[in-house]
Amino acid sequence: MMDLHGYGWMLWEGAVMTLVVAVLAMTLGCVLGLVGAVAKLSVRSGLRRAADLYTTVVRGVPELVLILLVYYGVPTVAQDLAETWGEPVVFDLDPFIAGVLTLGFIYGAFATEVFRGAFLSVPRGQIEAASSLGMRPGLAFRKILFPQMLRYALPGLGNVWLVLLKATALVSVIQLEDLMRKAQIAAGATREPFTFYFSASLLFLGLTVVSLYAIRRGERWAERGLR
Amino acid sequence: MATPALVVENLRKSFGALEVLKGVSLVADRGDVIALIGASGSGKSTFLRCINLLEMPDSGTIRVAGEAVRVERFGAARLPAADRRQIDRIRTHLGMVFQSFNLWSHMTVLENVIEAPVHVLKRPKSDAVALAMLLLEKVGIADKARHYPAHLSGGQQQRAAIARALAMEPDVLLFDEPTSALDPELVNEVFQVMRGLAAERRTMIVVTHEMGFAREIATEVVFLHRGVVEERGPPAEVFGDPKSARCRQFLSAMP
Repeated sequence: MMDLHGYGWMLWEGAVMTLVVAVLAMTLGCVLGLVGAVAKLSVRSGLRRAADLYTTVVRGVPELVLILLVYYGVPTVAQDLAETWGEPVVFDLDPFIAGVLTLGFIYGAFATEVFRGAFLSVPRGQIEAASSLGMRPGLAFRKILFPQMLRYALPGLGNVWLVLLKATALVSVIQLEDLMRKAQIAAGATREPFTFYFSASLLFLGLTVVSLYAIRRGERWAERGLR
Repeated sequence: MATPALVVENLRKSFGALEVLKGVSLVADRGDVIALIGASGSGKSTFLRCINLLEMPDSGTIRVAGEAVRVERFGAARLPAADRRQIDRIRTHLGMVFQSFNLWSHMTVLENVIEAPVHVLKRPKSDAVALAMLLLEKVGIADKARHYPAHLSGGQQQRAAIARALAMEPDVLLFDEPTSALDPELVNEVFQVMRGLAAERRTMIVVTHEMGFAREIATEVVFLHRGVVEERGPPAEVFGDPKSARCRQFLSAMP
């Protein structure tokens, strides 16, 4: 058994923080993804272009750059702006909020593409049947299109979740006390990098294994009636 | 004389430069069964889909149970809310049965049948379930009520789809080639259900390639050719002694 020199509890706290950041970011990402997908499939060209811009920019800039840009860049710009209005303020972003917002924003772009593809995969006839029975578009969306779309989206969303979970390690650069950051601290203090980075790896792997199980359950639920 | 269940006047529809319907009219009195026949591309399915506005006609009038739909305004991309509400209301009077069934695959047969009565007509769920079970009994698949569509044969799925349409208690039933997607041995079970509906004097418009069935069930046969009604009349006349050369040609090519 590895000797964690009393840092075990700290690592565990880090893992919990990682999970919390990931869950919140994923929730935000799903909301943005749904909005983005609906915008991309909209008949209004303005909405389509805005969504295209969002996914292009986010997918084209490295996550690490975006995280640093939001955490260090946004407060600087805000302070400069405030100064030009003659109202000097000290404006700091909380690393937790900055991390969740940035990751949610980034993975919302990936979720947008997942949802867009899923919406397009629902057979037209399913919606036509709803229309032919007098369902308004909103009702047909809630009762027919959305549940069927989920069936096609879940595998892709599962993938986004797994990548997002690992990407939370990036927020350690803005001093958020996640699993990665705790491992760094412990490794530095004890000069046993292998022990702590290996422990962190195992914890990440554990989260992934649990996730995979949950994803499989979710997919089976969404595919009810198909087999 | 009573109002006809469905009146369609001078319906026109183009897809780009292709004019699919060149002014098609039709009157269905209560209890009429009208068979729409014609070659592929004659416009008969488009005509049916225009009646319940799954396709927006370019011009013409549709009157369902006395209520007229203002088709001339449909040129605009976005419809005014009042028109959209009217379309939804009209659709509840028209039951559509699709070639590929289009049962909702994430719901059981029973859920498929009660969905629209509960959420569109706002019927109490227990009433909707009672009616649904009655209808499923009628089409002979009450034992499949808790099954998902994917677990049913094509014939059973189409009968479930008919029950779903009937659950709205529509004034007119529209059938879009209801047996074209079925294996030959499953066709008859769907025809049997449709015979029963005809015997109940339900108003039905049936697009079909099955001439024998059209002849047997229809009170009127309408032959469409390139978006125009080429011939119409009682089945004995249209099938026995067609006046139009095109109709004769079409029927002689049928097996």
